[in-house]
Amino acid sequence: MDILFLLIPLSVALALIIIAALGWAVWRGQFEGIDAEAQRILEAD
Amino acid sequence: MNPNPAQAALYNDTVVRQFSIMAVVWGVVGMLVGLFIAAELAWPELNFGIPWLSYGRLRPLHTNAVIFAFGGCALMGTSYYVVQRTCQVPLFLGKLASFHFWAWQAVIVAAAISLPMGYTQGKEYAELEWPIDILITIAWVSYAIVFFGTIGIRKVRHIYVANWFYGAFIIAVAILHIVNSAAVPAGWMKSYSAYAGVQDAMIQWWYGHNAVGFFLTAGFLGMMYYFIPKQAGRPVYSYRLTIVHFWALIFTYMWAGPHHLHYTALPDWTQSIGMVFSLILLAPSWGGMINGVMTLSGAWHKLRDDPILRFLIVSLSFYGMSTFEGPMMSIKTVNALSHYTDWTIGHVHSGALGWVGLISMGSLYYLIPRLYGRKEMHSVPAIELHFWLATVGIVLYIAAMWIAGVMQGLMWRGINGDGTLTYTFVESVKATYPFYVVRVLGGVLYLGGMLVMAWNTWMTVTQGRSVHVPVPVLAPAAA
Amino acid sequence: MQTALDEPAEWEGFSRPLAGRDGWRECYLAIEGMHCAACALTVEHALALLPGVDNVRVNGASATALIAWSPRLTRPSAWLAALAGAGYGALPAGDLLLAAPRRQAQRVLLWRWLVAGFCMMQVMMYAVPAYVASPGDITPDIAGLLGWASWVLTLPVVLFSCWPFFSTALRDLRHGRIGMDVPVALGIAIAFGASTVATFDPTGPLGHEVWYDSVTMFVFFLLSGRLLEQRLRDRTAGSLEALMRRLPQTIERALPGGGFERVPVRRLVAGDLVRVLPGEIFPADGVVTDGESQVDEALLTGESMPVPRGKGQLVVAGSHNLSGMLAMRVERIGEQTRYAQIVTLMEQASMDKPRLARIADRIATPFLFAVVAAAAAAAAWWWSTDPSHAVGVAIAVLIVTCPCALSLATPAATLAAAGALARRGVLVRRLQALEACASIDTVVFDKTGTLTLAPMALLATRCRPGIEPARALALAGALAQHSLHPASRAIAAAAGKVDCIATGLTELAGHGLRATVSQDGGRHARQLRLGAASFCDAPARRHTALGLEVHLADEAGWLAVFEFDEALRPDAQAAIEALRAQGLSVQLLSGDRSVSVQRLARRVGIEAAWGDCSPEGKLRHVSRAQRQGRRVAMVGDGVNDGPSLARADVSIAMGQAVPLAQAKADFVVLGGQLGAIPLLLSQARRTRRVVRENLLWAAAYNTVCVPLAVIGAMPPWLAGLGMALSSLLVVANSARLARLPAEH
Repeated sequence: MDILFLLIPLSVALALIIIAALGWAVWRGQFEGIDAEAQRILEAD
Repeated sequence: MNPNPAQAALYNDTVVRQFSIMAVVWGVVGMLVGLFIAAELAWPELNFGIPWLSYGRLRPLHTNAVIFAFGGCALMGTSYYVVQRTCQVPLFLGKLASFHFWAWQAVIVAAAISLPMGYTQGKEYAELEWPIDILITIAWVSYAIVFFGTIGIRKVRHIYVANWFYGAFIIAVAILHIVNSAAVPAGWMKSYSAYAGVQDAMIQWWYGHNAVGFFLTAGFLGMMYYFIPKQAGRPVYSYRLTIVHFWALIFTYMWAGPHHLHYTALPDWTQSIGMVFSLILLAPSWGGMINGVMTLSGAWHKLRDDPILRFLIVSLSFYGMSTFEGPMMSIKTVNALSHYTDWTIGHVHSGALGWVGLISMGSLYYLIPRLYGRKEMHSVPAIELHFWLATVGIVLYIAAMWIAGVMQGLMWRGINGDGTLTYTFVESVKATYPFYVVRVLGGVLYLGGMLVMAWNTWMTVTQGRSVHVPVPVLAPAAA
Repeated sequence: MQTALDEPAEWEGFSRPLAGRDGWRECYLAIEGMHCAACALTVEHALALLPGVDNVRVNGASATALIAWSPRLTRPSAWLAALAGAGYGALPAGDLLLAAPRRQAQRVLLWRWLVAGFCMMQVMMYAVPAYVASPGDITPDIAGLLGWASWVLTLPVVLFSCWPFFSTALRDLRHGRIGMDVPVALGIAIAFGASTVATFDPTGPLGHEVWYDSVTMFVFFLLSGRLLEQRLRDRTAGSLEALMRRLPQTIERALPGGGFERVPVRRLVAGDLVRVLPGEIFPADGVVTDGESQVDEALLTGESMPVPRGKGQLVVAGSHNLSGMLAMRVERIGEQTRYAQIVTLMEQASMDKPRLARIADRIATPFLFAVVAAAAAAAAWWWSTDPSHAVGVAIAVLIVTCPCALSLATPAATLAAAGALARRGVLVRRLQALEACASIDTVVFDKTGTLTLAPMALLATRCRPGIEPARALALAGALAQHSLHPASRAIAAAAGKVDCIATGLTELAGHGLRATVSQDGGRHARQLRLGAASFCDAPARRHTALGLEVHLADEAGWLAVFEFDEALRPDAQAAIEALRAQGLSVQLLSGDRSVSVQRLARRVGIEAAWGDCSPEGKLRHVSRAQRQGRRVAMVGDGVNDGPSLARADVSIAMGQAVPLAQAKADFVVLGGQLGAIPLLLSQARRTRRVVRENLLWAAAYNTVCVPLAVIGAMPPWLAGLGMALSSLLVVANSARLARLPAEH
């Protein structure tokens, strides 16, 4: 199962990347005041 | 911060139009090939002894055409539409988007020529040879630049959840493609995989499973989270839940891959992990489905009058069904019966025809008239007709495959008192014949629906004109 | 008022320079009239359309907007006008600027929690093989790989997510005390350290057992509890802030060349000369330079009786000028005033620890010592047989103990209850009072005014012969318009616009008003009194059995009587009924005439009522009831209520007429809704029940689990799960209080 030596480090790297993306979203306030966001797409066009 | 950003900026809808039309065209082509190979299984003499009409060569053509040509074009077209509308900016690097379109069509044409000629890497859903793989990579990187660039220059602070799904789809498919297609070239149309034996199988199904997860699920969920609220005219049931859905899905999907390799040379514990996480996956999948369907809560009557909405909602119910069926089939005892039978084919098609097909068609029905300055498609009754043809077609297809699959599984495991097999393999093939015929019938109906759609699209497009939609100048909140 | 917002001096109060954009500021607005998600978009559009306004973010849940704006291009009044055009009201919410650190804290905690959560999920995935595989199935190299991957993903959890535990534990240790984070931090550190050794040296003394999944799970659940607690606390704080929000005041300042101009309070500097009219709030601390007046300083001193203030005496910001006009010299402004200090104190009230919590804290220290000692002893005991097991037992003991549940039990519950009450318009001034409130058996209404509507209807006017009723009313109105007493306000309302001028006005608490009233430019000045019958030498007459009477008198004696009908508050009867349904004895004490008090009591359904009570009489009544073993809640709103409010076990102020009595009370009911009182009492009882449940659970859990861990019967993962779920249970149980019960 040598392939796990590729897949598991890859999964660690991906997990860290996903966590980084999540952090970006938290600090950019993407999860704050989201009540109107679902409505917004209906207003555009 | 220019207080008066480009007054007359227009959304870049040309590339959206191109992808949308080609989605319909490739849909017809891919499904036609599918129907033909279904018929070949019922009546093998249909290959007329011509090598490039043989099942082994046309089957990858069918899967590539429906997944990457039809599904791909639908995803790319809608994602370009959605990202512009939700970010309220035109596409970043419109010319690169145009390049992406033509490069992607070149990939499809190259596949349509090379696969019947017998060029293949022998990896399911990744059959294309290495030069085409490189072209795919180039097209995909352009796609990523345009998409994320557009998000980067957005005028709306919040990134709508559909874009998160599309974005995850783009990034994940890029990684999957690069890792899985790593190969050593041995000539222009010949290569050897960088991995060997069970390692290759593991990588292949890590790829195959996650391609289902991120191409056929995450991407189309992005579509779902935009077009269902738009068509229903109501905000999504719980926006908070959509966010949870997104993060939970991308975090759990990665691990369920080994369930494709139950009862193989893979170590037992990896198979068990595959099973455990396939079952866990049920939770976010159903959370998303319920969220989508409940968007209509309080407005169920719209389902009666609006065939487009019906496409979208019924697709979600097929999504729910196949995301329930999948984890069940990953349970090792169930898998012992279902593996290698036509049940798997039935499962895949309830997802493909039901979820991917219907959600794309519904979204295209929403999109095409708007792209050509029309209020609705040329013929709404034709949409209605398409819906019923497609639904009946799917039901015939998956019912036939379920019965055939369970029957095959039972016949293969039937053992006489003396330990010999009760049935020979060919006996099970013979017994499957009527179900193959029913499947062809289902396929005829589904393709028939698609032809109705093609006609309807043709009439809508020829009677309409390409409209240029200005970006709203009232951009409320800069990023 | 709105123009005051356009003064640059005001901007500091509600907006601040925007980092990174020169010349731009950012500002919070509290939006009124928002009730759906679509409203948020409408507000956003209305604001974004304005030139010089940018980056509008509307939060629908808290009904606030954050905007960036450029003073070069726009003025605050323009936004308010735009919002008004869209149908919304708005106030600049400077307090939200102060809340920015809170938002920061929220984000940090959320981020810590998410990191712990996602790393936990991923580490679980690496850990599952060890649970599902049969022994020997996983080769050592793969086990090592999985261990390495788990280690990499546990690292951010230990280094980042756990930081609050480590820093608190360190601080405690440095001060030589032991807090509830000490065993937690110790447990995490040992578990992670031992696992690290086991991962990188599987043949070492600690064996190859790793606890990454236990550590991450433990941290995740622990942070879940903290996150929930933080949300609860912030919601409470948010409710309190919203209620304290006010528009900036203006005040008349003397011009150098004589005369006065109205300026925003914020523009005052020490040394300014200002004029404070009756009914106004003093803007700053200072010295009176001219005039005589009654000043209500209850908010600041607890003295509920108005105090006379004249030349040379000190007045403090936030107190209320009741009767005469005063000129004062400003000495201290803004943050330095007593008022600012009081506001800080009020904020601290929400932090104060109820009795039960203090007891729990006292128990916690010896308990924690015992736990650490037990962990060390258990580890020492097992070390000789199996070091790996010894470490496991020590970790289990350290993390299974749940002092959190013990110390969270009370504050979590009281905070949740206070937040819920605040949203219903009941301000909890002292968290401790919630506890006292739960055992109340007698509710005393300290005034008829708490049960009746403030603008009373004038029924009849009877006068001394030779006086026109309309004339009498006009004279009374001239006096009454300077007072905030409910009866005065009723007379002022009935009189409408009057052509007389009252000067030298004084208000005698419990009696009435006295002033010189002149007409036609002062030719016809007369000394008038308005108030109680005795104050105005009213002739003894037959009782009319009607409601309230107010008398008017001049130098020559009694002039007229105004009779008012007391309209009951619409929710009075329902509220009294609800209180009695809760098994409470309801009483009414009033300074009004006995007959009308009895009549009112009958109308609302109060069985015990006493009229003609002096403030001292009320106090005696309350003391007597308490000596009989009763626990009394006092409900009042007037100037006279101070002593008895203070004497009662629990005091509730109906925050309507005079804003000052509020400060004395444990609870303030805003908007005068009587229905909130039974709600408050039942909420207090629910709170007590929940606190007891929490404490009982914490005690039971620790008694059972700690011994189990010590004897080695509990693996670390189970210990972590148990402890985390125990704290979560306490917080979740308390969170039930964040929702009020259905109203009666």
